[in-house]
Amino acid sequence: MTGADLMARPAASPRGRGGFAQFPTAVRFALRNQTRNRLAAVLLVAFVPAWYALMMAMVGHQSLDFKLYSTGQTLTVDGGQLTLISAGLNALSLIVGFAIFDAIRKTLAFDKRLVFAGYRQANLIGAKTLSISVIATAVALYAALVLLVFWRPSFGGWLAIAAGYAVIALTYGAFGLLLGVLVKGDLEGFFLIIMGGLMDTFLQNPLGNPLANKPVLEWFPSFGPMQAAVGGAFGHTALWGRLALGLAWAAGFALCGLVVFRIRTRSRRLDQAGLRCTASSTA
Amino acid sequence: MTAVLTAEGVRKSYGHHQVLTGADLSVDPGQLVAVVGENGAGKSTLLKALAGTLRTDAGSVRLSGSLGYCPQEAVLSDNLTVAQHLRYFAAAYHLPGLDRGEQLLDRLGYAEYRNVSAGSLSGGTRQKLNLTLALLHEPDVLLLDEPYQGFDWETYLRFWDLVGELREHGTAIVLITHLVFEQDRFDVLADLTGGKLHLRSPRTDGSGGDDDRR
Repeated sequence: MTGADLMARPAASPRGRGGFAQFPTAVRFALRNQTRNRLAAVLLVAFVPAWYALMMAMVGHQSLDFKLYSTGQTLTVDGGQLTLISAGLNALSLIVGFAIFDAIRKTLAFDKRLVFAGYRQANLIGAKTLSISVIATAVALYAALVLLVFWRPSFGGWLAIAAGYAVIALTYGAFGLLLGVLVKGDLEGFFLIIMGGLMDTFLQNPLGNPLANKPVLEWFPSFGPMQAAVGGAFGHTALWGRLALGLAWAAGFALCGLVVFRIRTRSRRLDQAGLRCTASSTA
Repeated sequence: MTAVLTAEGVRKSYGHHQVLTGADLSVDPGQLVAVVGENGAGKSTLLKALAGTLRTDAGSVRLSGSLGYCPQEAVLSDNLTVAQHLRYFAAAYHLPGLDRGEQLLDRLGYAEYRNVSAGSLSGGTRQKLNLTLALLHEPDVLLLDEPYQGFDWETYLRFWDLVGELREHGTAIVLITHLVFEQDRFDVLADLTGGKLHLRSPRTDGSGGDDDRR
């Protein structure tokens, strides 16, 4: 019996429509699910400022060279301030990646049951995408606001940093989504997010890093956000292309994750609208 | 009477292990069928095959009408309350309101947990919610995989009252059970042995079958 052989006939007595619209209901509950992670909330409130403070205390204010790939310029920047940007990107990659991974993995079987009961996959997919975007942007804004306690860049520079933060949060939110539908155990997912985020964001910082300013860094997800944030904060240029590159990573992860989500939650039943139907299958 | 659920020659293997070797079943409206068998006989696999949540190797399943499926393990979202589950599934089933859900909360005796998160519920109450989600849209065919695990005696009796009402309204029910003493409640006992279903009436033949029912 294969799913492809299922056949449906028109509804004999369609059930009432209206009532609870699927998309807004799914958005509401996706937001609830993805914001109920207490550990992620504690990390957000406590870890972000603590991480900034630690970085400031450790790094000091030595000068560092940072290459802007769009303009070819090499900027000489304050190492402490550069490391603050890098620390924010790192914290966001961990917190958002962890929170989304955890929420997606825990609700996968439930989402499958919803689809089986008649929820349109498109509504669940749209709701998850919107929910992740809202959460990632809000968390990035928070991290950018906390940064002001430690350093006051120009307003344009702060906007560039906030934009870079939003892009990295979206990227790792999407990465968390992908891992959430692929990985079965908690540990594997957390390990991949922590190691991926650490390697990715710290390699972009020239502080004690022999790989800094090397072309290979262009192939990492945080390259775009880091370039855009540093370019805006120190070079006074808006590097939209670099932000777009970061968004492309986010879109790539999200697309892969949502395709796997669609495959893993699909239902072979055809009475998905809750309508009366006949489903039959033959070998 | 026209069957609302018909399965013919359903086969399913996991690797070299053949679980279902050609299971046949026909269920009429209002009929109550018990699937019994030893542990590992493939009862849950059969129910998943009937529900369409499991891809089988061969055979056919024909369903007329809407389907409700209650899996053995409660599939819930721990961060959502009972009321939010009802709302979510009302949206899934395109129901106009929560009337039926509220009715079921009362009938199964857990209305006071309406605003409690599923993650904080006891095992028995989680199972009530699991069952409620399968019943919410008043399906024509109901597949229940050991639906009363963790129920206290009073809830167990309420469950059977509810089943009686559903049958009066023409709902066909297939239920996996291990309980010996309740077999007289069923119209048909379907023994799953050797991957095939062997049907008999509990009122005409109380002998034979597996150890679970002795």
